[in-house]
Amino acid sequence: MMNRFMMAALAAMLALGSTAPVLAQGGPLRLTITDGVIEPLPFAVPTFTAETAGAEQIASDISRLVAQDLTGTGLFREIAQSAYISQMGAFGSPVAYEDWRAINTQALIGGAVAVSGDQLTVKFRLYDVFTGAELGEGLQFAGTVTGWRRMAHKVADAAYSRITGEGGYFDSRVVYVAEEGPKDNRQKRLAIMDFDGANTQFLTDSSTIVLAPRFSPSGDRVLYTSYESGFPRINLLDVGSVTKRQVATAEGEMAFSPRFSQDGQRVVYSIANGGNTDLYISDLNSGGSTRLTNAPSIETAPSFSPDGSEIVFESDRSGGSQIYIMSAGGGEPRRVSFGEGRYGTPVWSPRGDLIAFTKQNAGQFHIGVMRTDGSEERLLTTSFLDEGPTWSPNGRVLMFTRETQGAGGTSALYSVDISGRNLQPVPVSGGASDPAWGPLQP
Amino acid sequence: MDRFGIQWTPGGYVSSGGHVFLLVWLIAGWGFDAEPLPFEVSDVSVVSSEEYAAIVEATTPDPSETPPDAPEVPVAEKAPDVPVQQEAAAVPTPPEAAAQDLPPPEAPEDPVPVIDQSPALPGAAAEEVVAAPNLTASPRPVPRPTQRVTAEAVAPPPEDATPDPVVQDRASEEAAPDAPVVEEAQEQTAPEESATEIVTADETPQGQLLETPRPRTRPNVPTPAPAPEVVAEETAPPETPEVAVDADAVAAALEAAAAAAAPADVPQGPPMTGSEREGFRVAVNACWNVDPGSQAARVTMTVGFTLDQGGRVTNSEVRQVAASGGDDASTQIAFDAARRAILRCQGQNGYDLPADKYSEWQEVEITFDPSGMRLR
Repeated sequence: MMNRFMMAALAAMLALGSTAPVLAQGGPLRLTITDGVIEPLPFAVPTFTAETAGAEQIASDISRLVAQDLTGTGLFREIAQSAYISQMGAFGSPVAYEDWRAINTQALIGGAVAVSGDQLTVKFRLYDVFTGAELGEGLQFAGTVTGWRRMAHKVADAAYSRITGEGGYFDSRVVYVAEEGPKDNRQKRLAIMDFDGANTQFLTDSSTIVLAPRFSPSGDRVLYTSYESGFPRINLLDVGSVTKRQVATAEGEMAFSPRFSQDGQRVVYSIANGGNTDLYISDLNSGGSTRLTNAPSIETAPSFSPDGSEIVFESDRSGGSQIYIMSAGGGEPRRVSFGEGRYGTPVWSPRGDLIAFTKQNAGQFHIGVMRTDGSEERLLTTSFLDEGPTWSPNGRVLMFTRETQGAGGTSALYSVDISGRNLQPVPVSGGASDPAWGPLQP
Repeated sequence: MDRFGIQWTPGGYVSSGGHVFLLVWLIAGWGFDAEPLPFEVSDVSVVSSEEYAAIVEATTPDPSETPPDAPEVPVAEKAPDVPVQQEAAAVPTPPEAAAQDLPPPEAPEDPVPVIDQSPALPGAAAEEVVAAPNLTASPRPVPRPTQRVTAEAVAPPPEDATPDPVVQDRASEEAAPDAPVVEEAQEQTAPEESATEIVTADETPQGQLLETPRPRTRPNVPTPAPAPEVVAEETAPPETPEVAVDADAVAAALEAAAAAAAPADVPQGPPMTGSEREGFRVAVNACWNVDPGSQAARVTMTVGFTLDQGGRVTNSEVRQVAASGGDDASTQIAFDAARRAILRCQGQNGYDLPADKYSEWQEVEITFDPSGMRLR
């Protein structure tokens, strides 16, 4: 036994002795890369397979909408189908990765659609071409044929999330103020649409002026300011039934600029009395109100932090309009914006790390973001009039109102990535303003 | 070695200097009076060693006169002993202890007289006593040349008095065991290894010269081939069946070890140049797609992979080595982006890397640090 032990030890020593110099020569080659490239990720969405007769068109529509959603983010670039070397086989069949690598496809989405009566089933798989493996597992959604767009948005959300690691925002809706007519006689009404401008529905008529709609966290209700009584008042509208009621607020000449708390049970807003405007919070169920600020200045445009512990708002207590943060229960606010110009309409990011705002400086309006401590301010847009940013559910995109100059100027909705890229108009028929982005739909 | 190809040693300096001085003095009588010359010559030739010892004894100062010697024993003299300690390491006795113990008993013996006489040298008469005859008659071997300067040389003797060290050596040999000066312990070693030298102590610190590290032994270069033979020889003689089994096992283990470690087919070229490394970095960089607005842009990701000799990732396997700055989801996305970059940019033909330096880039670790690309 001893001999065996000694021999084994000797062998081990010899082995170590022979490998050590190799390792001692420096180990692996170590490199550090600090400056990558910023470019859309190439992906391909071959037309989904129609698994039932008559599903060809809807399969094509869904695959096109998935591609459109991803391309619209600015983070992806679709490879034209004319460049495909091979097509996808039956759903789940082996993928010819080499063919897709040859055209520099990095992400490949394969899917299938089945229609049975009014029922629609969509399933898909996402492939990482260069690793030759599937990204996540296949998913299947079921719904109605009329809701095929939502099905496509859900597929796009899943693909987006798996590739970027962040939540999607395609299956979401936006409530806004639809506008018609010239500036001096503009008709306004509440409308709701898909994030991409499809499926627009009007929630109110144009008999009264409506302003600043805000989605509830669950997306089933909308708060907005109405001039129905001749003075600004806050209304609560149920999106499903399209019924509304006035919210009980504190006494005041005007109540406006409402926004839901994170639990959807309270609403924070502004009350104007005798030229002074302060912030209040009311319980939607009990109607009880609490005054949050008491200053001889204008405090308005409140927005809760994602955890509900703080409120960001704008105030001119320092002379010009600036952004402040205070506890959700009130108290002494702290100023967070110190740049030149006027800051307004702050909105806390769903991620909690940024505050979006409108900035007016040197005759121009900007949409910008800053850290919650006021640092790292970045202006994302510049125009004659940009205002009222609202966050996408994943905190990645901002939508806002852009108004053109002149008596014939119109209002439109635009979106921009928080990187400042991919500024593009939201396809809305007619004029639009005051967008509020709702949550992802269930 | 001078330009004439002559290598000058301290002994050579002494000898040539003495001869030149003697020749000039005898032939030209240049700069000297006639009277002192014969007097000096007769003195040297007549005095016997006993008489000379008597004279020395008579001129030996009391121990109380040792203060002049103190400056001649610079502490730096101990530095030369340091290398000796290494040699003494082979001797059972600790070198440091020997250095401390030896001086007391030997102090009375050696060079004390020399040091004591040197103060008398500045006198003109003393210089003439130096006399060449003594030099030539000295049976002592020439001191081993060294680069160091003896303590006595620190005293600024006249240029013409270069023979002094010789006299010191000679005197040290003939000196009687007297003058129990404590400093002798230090002087004991110094004269042996020191000699007169042109190089001054100011120019070259002795300590540094002597502390030059010894050349290290060459590292053992592993030689896998002979190893099995030795083992086979050792294991073969035993007759028990266990040994036979062991030999097989060991041979198998050695073979496996050699196979695992032997870079026989791995080109071992020179280190990669900066441009080669940069070229590789740029190649991967071109495929690293960063979304600066994403949470993954906050993750610094280090991945490792193995390249085959064609410059392609072996089995397309990229592993995560380290990550920081993000949650699980963003870390996974950062890893996917890094892996995608590595696999995508290798192309069909692999990365363009020097084939003769394969051992340098066979294993690679790349850190993807997007900190400079984050939104600010």
